[in-house]
Amino acid sequence: MTYLSRAGALALAMGLTGLSSPALADFWSDAGANYQGVVLRGVTESTPPSNYIKDVLAPQFEAATGIKVEIETTSWDQMYDKAIKDMEAGTGIYDMVYIEQDIIYAYLARNFLVDITQALADKPELKAPTFDEGKFTSFANYFKDANGHLFGVPMEAFIKLYLYRKDLFEDPAIQAAFKEKTGRDLKPATTHEEYTAIADFFTEYGKENGLELWGSTAQAHTGHPASWYEFFESVAPTFGVWNWGIDANNNYAATVANGGKMNSDEAKAALKWWLHLRDVGPPESAQSTWTEVATTFAAGRAAQGLVYGENAAWIASDPNQSKVVGKVGFALPPTAPGVMEAAEAGTGYIGYYDGGAFGVPVTSKNREAALLFLQFIGQDEVQADWAVAAPRITNTATYDDPKIAEMDAKLGGYYTMLRDQGRLFAGAPPYPFHAQLRGALEPIFFDILTGKIGPDEGLDAMAAKTEEELTALGYRK
Amino acid sequence: MRLKRTGFGWLLLSPTLLLLGLFGVFPFLYVVWVSFHEWNPFAANPEKVFNWANNYRALVFDRGFLASLGVTLAFVFFAVSSQVILGYLLAQAFMRDFPGKAFFRTIHTLPLIMAPIIVGSVWKLMTTPSIGIIPYLLRNTVGFDLNIGTSALAAFVITVIMDVWHWTPLVTLSLIAALVSLPPDPFEQAQIDGADRWQIFRHITLPMIAPALIATVFIRLMDAMRTVDEVLMLTGGGPGSATRFLGVHIFKEVFPRTNYGYGSAVSVIVLYLTIVVCWLLYVGLIAPRTTRR
Amino acid sequence: MRSRKTPWLSVALWSLLSFVTLFPIYWMFVISMKAPVELFSTPDILLRSLDWSNYVEVLESPTLRGYMVNSLVISSGNAVLVTALGFLACYALTRYDLPGKESIFFWTITNRMAPPAVFLLPLFLLLTQVYRIGDFSLLDTRIGMILVYCTFNLPFAIWTLRPTLDAIPKELDEAALVDGASAWRVIWDVILPLARPGLAVTLILTWVFAWNEYLLAATLTNFTARTLTTGLSEYVTTTGTAWGIMAAISVFTLIPALIVFSLVQRHIVTGLTFGAVKG
Repeated sequence: MTYLSRAGALALAMGLTGLSSPALADFWSDAGANYQGVVLRGVTESTPPSNYIKDVLAPQFEAATGIKVEIETTSWDQMYDKAIKDMEAGTGIYDMVYIEQDIIYAYLARNFLVDITQALADKPELKAPTFDEGKFTSFANYFKDANGHLFGVPMEAFIKLYLYRKDLFEDPAIQAAFKEKTGRDLKPATTHEEYTAIADFFTEYGKENGLELWGSTAQAHTGHPASWYEFFESVAPTFGVWNWGIDANNNYAATVANGGKMNSDEAKAALKWWLHLRDVGPPESAQSTWTEVATTFAAGRAAQGLVYGENAAWIASDPNQSKVVGKVGFALPPTAPGVMEAAEAGTGYIGYYDGGAFGVPVTSKNREAALLFLQFIGQDEVQADWAVAAPRITNTATYDDPKIAEMDAKLGGYYTMLRDQGRLFAGAPPYPFHAQLRGALEPIFFDILTGKIGPDEGLDAMAAKTEEELTALGYRK
Repeated sequence: MRLKRTGFGWLLLSPTLLLLGLFGVFPFLYVVWVSFHEWNPFAANPEKVFNWANNYRALVFDRGFLASLGVTLAFVFFAVSSQVILGYLLAQAFMRDFPGKAFFRTIHTLPLIMAPIIVGSVWKLMTTPSIGIIPYLLRNTVGFDLNIGTSALAAFVITVIMDVWHWTPLVTLSLIAALVSLPPDPFEQAQIDGADRWQIFRHITLPMIAPALIATVFIRLMDAMRTVDEVLMLTGGGPGSATRFLGVHIFKEVFPRTNYGYGSAVSVIVLYLTIVVCWLLYVGLIAPRTTRR
Repeated sequence: MRSRKTPWLSVALWSLLSFVTLFPIYWMFVISMKAPVELFSTPDILLRSLDWSNYVEVLESPTLRGYMVNSLVISSGNAVLVTALGFLACYALTRYDLPGKESIFFWTITNRMAPPAVFLLPLFLLLTQVYRIGDFSLLDTRIGMILVYCTFNLPFAIWTLRPTLDAIPKELDEAALVDGASAWRVIWDVILPLARPGLAVTLILTWVFAWNEYLLAATLTNFTARTLTTGLSEYVTTTGTAWGIMAAISVFTLIPALIVFSLVQRHIVTGLTFGAVKG
């Protein structure tokens, strides 16, 4: 892929300079003139959009401005650790850091990041004419502070959708069998009960026919945070338990006794529903992170499942990685009564809006040149090709590009869904203690998954532990 | 002995002391200093707050830590003792002559040269429930469902097997070296006296290879105590906390949780425990033999 | 004795054992030869077709070639350094009456016992803020990694070399000294040749440890000194771990180690004398 994208980079760089008007080309070279010899350094998680920045956008930027950009790509936990160590110690190694949507609040609380809106207002000569904060999708709101100032330029955004196997759901023989067994029509589930019925049916069906097929995926790894995320960010919200069941406006209460919802009846129902899916799901579920869930679905081992949007595109279209190309349908996750209405009204959400942005650490020694780069990757001009190479959309205009429309058709309408239904999804709650609390709760959660503790008592223990931990961290008074 | 110019000795030793001081002692002192603080950069108060020995006091009652200590000791015990037994048997087998001996010996050293992180990845792929080759073969041959995601015992056993596979070659090599250097006379004498194989092993072989054996155990013991990469890759410490060994436990405290103060205290204690165990082993078993000469 | 009567039985037994030992390595090779889509389906123990594309991608990546060079420089530099320093240290410990030398010997080894995760922060701070001259800091440099790796490799070198030096009779030094040789000459001309098997083993094992190290390299290198093992982490992503390429890189990490290892096989047998008794 690196090989291919490098060839593409050359073509793109040539195409871009050829297409853009002289005035625009002038801005970048004029702006870059003041920073000759500067080398910008960034760290990011190794994802296709990040690799596109590294392999394509960085060389383009260098060609346009003369400023060199080096991007370090690494694994998820290493990326966090390195960025945090650098910013905490004030070393100034990095001029740009990847900010995942769930860490932004921690960074903001520590004033780790440069206020992009303010910095560009203070230095108008740095402001690129083609960069406009207003062009981003609503996902950019996650990277703004209370005053609406932007702290990160969005570079990837996905929703975690309900994927189902169109070929199975539309097979008349299977439809008849399903009707006979359950008395219903086989169609993508809108309620949890329907979803369970379909999951049970296909697991049974797989067993009867000697197929490697199960009713649902489950991201239920017993030693990796992925399982924790699936429950709190994708499953519990569809039962009306939002923000991990913690009430930030009520002194971060988590227990029902104090006004939280982490151990509410809804949360317990959600957990049991999900544990059942894990039980009827393929055996690898207990060792599955987001990666394995996607691979399980791509291998045709599950009839339906909640799959991160990052993977939707390749599952639906890349025959080198997926056995279900052309057989994937997308739908909204099933919800409990009232949840969809709450999401429509903006008081709740039905699933996870995932993604990340690039920000500039205040410790950067090349702040101004870094701001130029962030504007460069935030322009509409670069978005369409980026989305084709590494499916993700952060700017509203990208949806209208003919290349994207064509791709959307191939992906079975994933982009349309992202555009029209994206607002029903939400990112992680605005907690500055995200990973800290998760780390404290994980051991209990893993014990629930292994059956060492029951789901009800487990959630009670987790809610109590949440309050204890937040008190220790000093957030709960 | 008769070389009295100890100044020259110190000169030879000084680069070693300097390097270990700069890159070993300094960081350690920092860790000790941090361990006396409440420090999480993402707490409401991100600064270091001196809290006496509170971290150490909390540690004694921390069930997560104690459980981790327990599984670590079990892991170290099973892994290292299997390595010693297997390593000894292999080394003895290599003392005989048979066709292709050098070739087979090379093969049995191969696992040693693999990076722990790669070992973890390969074993993860081999043991993925239902799709990995090992669960697949077990199900189709003996009908056993191996799932390291649900069975704590299975996950623990697989981590031990992985470690045994990876490090037995080190034990084998060092024991071959020890066996090769043994003088033949005592064995011949014993055979003349009519000793059986167990007696020969118990009273002649074992005492003579003991220093090499203990030194090898020593190296394996301290490396096993701090295992991280392989296990993090294979199980992530799960299922539950079944394979959350101390190395993994500390990693999870200081990496995702950024719990620097408490994580430092745990590390200091782990280091202390390792040193104590090794010191006892050293004083009791190795030092007398080396100084006796 | 038994094996002399039935050599083929023992060869068969060894072959079976070797199969078990080799299987994970073989499986790594199989993975490197498969398209991602085949990994998550019913496994096939045999390799039906050869697909070298993962290897081509690794070889064609200048980044990975750079990592390979870094790995070679760092592990070789470190192995030579710790073996040389360990040799001198052990010579001092075995030849001179240094006060507290047993304690020093034991203390050196404790440096290897530290759980690595928590030492990353102080090492990071030291490398970036303390051990620096002007703008030059040791972070993300090969020399920095060579020095950092001493913390776990130097103790190992001292531990393996001490018995070797113990076993070399001290009368040899004394005779040479009486003949008027300088202390350095004695070390170089008399002791070094005798210690060669032990040095070879120490060199190779410390080389392997440095070559395979991951956690320290992942934290303390960024752009210029990244090693091959840290390169692996670039293929663990949220959109799927590129197992095929990871396995191909792994095979590449194995090759240099394999070559060096088979060259010194016979030294290992005679040189790895952890505390072995004198004959």
